[in-house]
Amino acid sequence: MDHTADDIASAPLPTDKTLRLRSSLVAQFGRFLAINLKMAKIIRKEHH
Amino acid sequence: MARVVVLGGGIAGHTAALHLSRMLKRSDEVVVVTPNSNWNWIPSNIWVGVGKMKTEQVTFTLGPIYKRKGIGYQQALATAIHPEGDPTHESPYVELTYTDPSRAGEHGELEYDYLINATGPKLNFGATPGLGPDGHSYSVCTSGHAVEASAALRASIARMKQGEHQVLVVGMGHGTCTCEGAAFEYAFNVEHEVRQAGVRDLADIVYLTNEYELGDFGVGGLTFTQQGFQTTSKLWTESLFRERGIRAVTGAHVTGVEEGIVHYEQLDGTMNALAFDFAMLLPPFRGVDLRAVDRAGEDISAELFAPNGFMKVDADYTAKPFEEWRAEDWPRTYQVPRFPNIFAVGIAFAPPHQISRPRKSSNGTVIAPSPPRTGMPSGIMGKLAATNIVGMIEKGDAVQVQTGSMADMAAACVASAGSGLRQGSAASMTMYPVVPDLQKYPGTGRSLKDTFGEIGLAGHWIKLALHYMFIYKAKARPGWHLIPE
Repeated sequence: MDHTADDIASAPLPTDKTLRLRSSLVAQFGRFLAINLKMAKIIRKEHH
Repeated sequence: MARVVVLGGGIAGHTAALHLSRMLKRSDEVVVVTPNSNWNWIPSNIWVGVGKMKTEQVTFTLGPIYKRKGIGYQQALATAIHPEGDPTHESPYVELTYTDPSRAGEHGELEYDYLINATGPKLNFGATPGLGPDGHSYSVCTSGHAVEASAALRASIARMKQGEHQVLVVGMGHGTCTCEGAAFEYAFNVEHEVRQAGVRDLADIVYLTNEYELGDFGVGGLTFTQQGFQTTSKLWTESLFRERGIRAVTGAHVTGVEEGIVHYEQLDGTMNALAFDFAMLLPPFRGVDLRAVDRAGEDISAELFAPNGFMKVDADYTAKPFEEWRAEDWPRTYQVPRFPNIFAVGIAFAPPHQISRPRKSSNGTVIAPSPPRTGMPSGIMGKLAATNIVGMIEKGDAVQVQTGSMADMAAACVASAGSGLRQGSAASMTMYPVVPDLQKYPGTGRSLKDTFGEIGLAGHWIKLALHYMFIYKAKARPGWHLIPE
């Protein structure tokens, strides 16, 4: 029995604030820097 | 003087060739054998497939790059490896059939001292009747396929603008497919395009996948921390599907595609059908058609290749149940045990087993995502093979061979969920290690510090930046080698 449709229907929905933050240029510029730092850390781990 | 032959000019092979040309002495020779004249940044085919990029933006011609870097280039298809040579060849060699238009169909032979098999996958559309551009569905595996998919999607959007309802199916065309991440990206980019076109209410978008649950991505899903809690990629992905109104069918093996209808079996054994107006279904992969022959002329393909056509390397291929899988099963050097001068990297090496738990339907059909080994891991393996070959050439048996198992390898992935500098979004993810190690990281199999996921516009900017950065690197522009794999 595929429960996926029920699982999707009961999954948490992002709030309006979360959606605004996900598309805010200012907030996302900060996230751009933060995610790049996280990825750089992973890459450093990989190359050393 | 040593000659290194690289079969394949994709991410793994091209990366290996560039590093070899950088690290080897001028007296040594690097030759790339690839049937394609163009290099393709495949991750951006998603954007070609929705009309946001043109083929020229994701491909470039390899010949001039290899000429500039002093790399030999044969536009040909490798058909057989002779790792022991034969009575007329003292050295090992590969047989070729030229695809270069000026020599198309000609037979050739190329001796080597070291060989890197980076031939990538054979797109096995034939595994599912009616699947693929020659059948009744589209693909984004090549830039040419993506252009066709884009045209069909545009036609579907045009029909919606006339008021017609359309069912758009995106997903995996077989129970053993890999690259679920690419299908996920395409589904969300299609949704984004349809919404941008103002006809979202007329589109029923269905993601059809062989994953047991959403967020598996062929790596058994991810667990990461968010606001003080451990959460899963399952919940995270389901939330995105709910937010964007995309339906999903999981645990599905597509059994056939007819004009406008996809047939599939699910893990519970039910056989179902779904009518569609547009379908992009990825094919399963298998190894390319490459034979291996010993000095006496006997076919030794079964020794060098797994039944799925991928090359067997230094992995533990003993069949064992999921509970007994170990990180140590995964290859570390990508060398063929009997022929340590042969390496297989990227998609070309045979994984010892899946990463996700494999499942069978109640009818006995295997529905199990194959392990992804594209992108960052492919580039890392290509560089690793190049580094070890350079070491072997310079130091012989005294070389300290470097290792890089996918069970000790990190990966950064950015899955686009829509294009646009202000309205795009993407899921940015990192995972370490790619193959879970439950001995080292009990519970989740991965480091919670180094495994994370986040959705937002920033992810789109990162994916776009990676597009330009990796094409710059692949074109071997100044400082290319400083850009990590």
